[in-house]
Amino acid sequence: MSIFSNKSEKIFIYLFFAIGLFIPLFLEGNTFYINKFSTIIILAIFVMSLDYLVGRTGMITLGHAMFYGLGGYIFTILAPEYEAVNFWVYTFYVMLISGCIALIVGLIVLRTSGIYMIMITLALAQMTFYFFADSVEYGGQDGLFIYIKPETSIFGLSFLDLENETHFYYLCLLSLFNCFVFFKVIMNSSFGRVVDALKENPDRATALGYNIFHFRLIAYVLSSSLAAYAGYLFALQFGFVNPSMMSWDISATALVMTLLGGLGSVYGAIIGSFMYEGLHYYIEHLTEYWMFFMGALIIVLVLTLKHGMAGFLNNLSGGKR
Amino acid sequence: MDTSLFLVQLLNGVQYGLLLFLIASGLTLVFGVMGILNLAHGSMYMIGAYLAYYFTTLTDSFLLAFIISGAIALVIGIIIERCLIIHLYKRDHLDQVLLTVGLIFIFNATQSFVWGNDPLGVEVPEILSGSIGLTDIIEYPVYRLFISLLCLVVAATMYFTINKTRLGMMIRAGESDRAMVENLGVDISKLFTIVFAIGVFLASLAGIVSAPIVSLVPGMGEHVLISCFVVVVIGGLGSIKGAFIAALIVGIVDTYASVLLPQVSSMSIYLLMALILLAKPQGLFKN
Repeated sequence: MSIFSNKSEKIFIYLFFAIGLFIPLFLEGNTFYINKFSTIIILAIFVMSLDYLVGRTGMITLGHAMFYGLGGYIFTILAPEYEAVNFWVYTFYVMLISGCIALIVGLIVLRTSGIYMIMITLALAQMTFYFFADSVEYGGQDGLFIYIKPETSIFGLSFLDLENETHFYYLCLLSLFNCFVFFKVIMNSSFGRVVDALKENPDRATALGYNIFHFRLIAYVLSSSLAAYAGYLFALQFGFVNPSMMSWDISATALVMTLLGGLGSVYGAIIGSFMYEGLHYYIEHLTEYWMFFMGALIIVLVLTLKHGMAGFLNNLSGGKR
Repeated sequence: MDTSLFLVQLLNGVQYGLLLFLIASGLTLVFGVMGILNLAHGSMYMIGAYLAYYFTTLTDSFLLAFIISGAIALVIGIIIERCLIIHLYKRDHLDQVLLTVGLIFIFNATQSFVWGNDPLGVEVPEILSGSIGLTDIIEYPVYRLFISLLCLVVAATMYFTINKTRLGMMIRAGESDRAMVENLGVDISKLFTIVFAIGVFLASLAGIVSAPIVSLVPGMGEHVLISCFVVVVIGGLGSIKGAFIAALIVGIVDTYASVLLPQVSSMSIYLLMALILLAKPQGLFKN
């Protein structure tokens, strides 16, 4: 069984990762662009986790950036300050701890739905934001610095040097690929089918004996810990964490990107992040007041684009939704 | 903390709570009647404050600025509803969130384009600039009392309008059964425009009256919006009575927390909200 839902998805994914693999060769060590691509790929992982949550379960969160920020903070707080730790071990720690936090948060926010859930996730994210912004030991508004980047050896063998921009780029690309495969496998599993059924008709799913709450909670925890992983990568790339990683506009723009890409399509998250960031980069160079044009663009998108770019591509390739 | 300080903080808390009610009531009214969550509600608070600044410096009269800014806010409300919100009635929550986030971007960019990013301030109007003595040593600014009074007047007006007038009857009917109201021949689109304009006006009104006591900075709208969410969630979405009581609770808790527990003060109201939600997921006064 193919993991792809339709032809345009298959073509896009093959093209994207083929180009992604060879891009550093063409950039020839132009670290500015390699870093830019790494940042957008990290963002795409974050957006993908949100895309799955919102698009597949139908639960809308406006506080997903909370886990993005937490991922960075968990690593920075746990890791010893002047000692290189193992990247993979800490990936496990970051995802485990953020998963536990998501479990607790999920127990509160999943008691509600719809508009309530939007407001509560936003308020809780804001609470975490203020917690870190006001805390003295976690650096307040300035955040914390990461002085030594982790090493990446597995059984003593090391392939990647995180200080090297190109190596870091490949780590991000690999992570995005894994994340994509992970979500596709989940979507095609029996768990994923139940989640889809819950979105389609919660009452019928309950009548069939599924506990809606458990499935939603698992989806929430999975999505949140992947968002934390993206935040962890972000912190490693820039060498610091600060509360602005959790600010509400990160959650909101991520939602815009999921819509741009096509809600619930998962691969659309990649399109959405690259398009949004590309436009952002372009407009920012034209005017200081780029937010005005981005705002207008968002409104036009909401009013016109039904299934995002993924739907558009699918129509082009003649597929059915 | 001695009694007089306690009293001053209580007055501050009530004043802040009443101001929050002014904003939150607009949010909850628009949601209750129209089913629309307007995230740009906080931006209207910000725009109100900046308009008050602009017209106070232009006309040298706070009263004049108050009237002009209020009128502009009403017009903005009508335009937004007629041009944008009107497309959202049949859409899901996500589209509402995204469209109003787009509006926030536009308002924030407009604010920084017109007024810049430096903090601005408005002078307290001269008639209201004094203080009155509460005890022998402690004085309280008249302007803050004026705000509380104004908010109470607005609350009373809203109560009267909703419970005793024809418009209020349509609003209440719209809240409980939209389709039926339409079938009975009420022009629902006109009602929606009016309600949305009132909501925007209430947020701007709060911005206008608080302009002299806060510093005008970019992002002030979002901060207020999120406090309003807490109020609305605690009070029960769509319930104006709930918003009133929740706003007072939040105002008082926030004020005392910043005096008694400064290290957790900015988190206090969110903790309060989380606790209340655990007990009552629908808020205190869900109707």
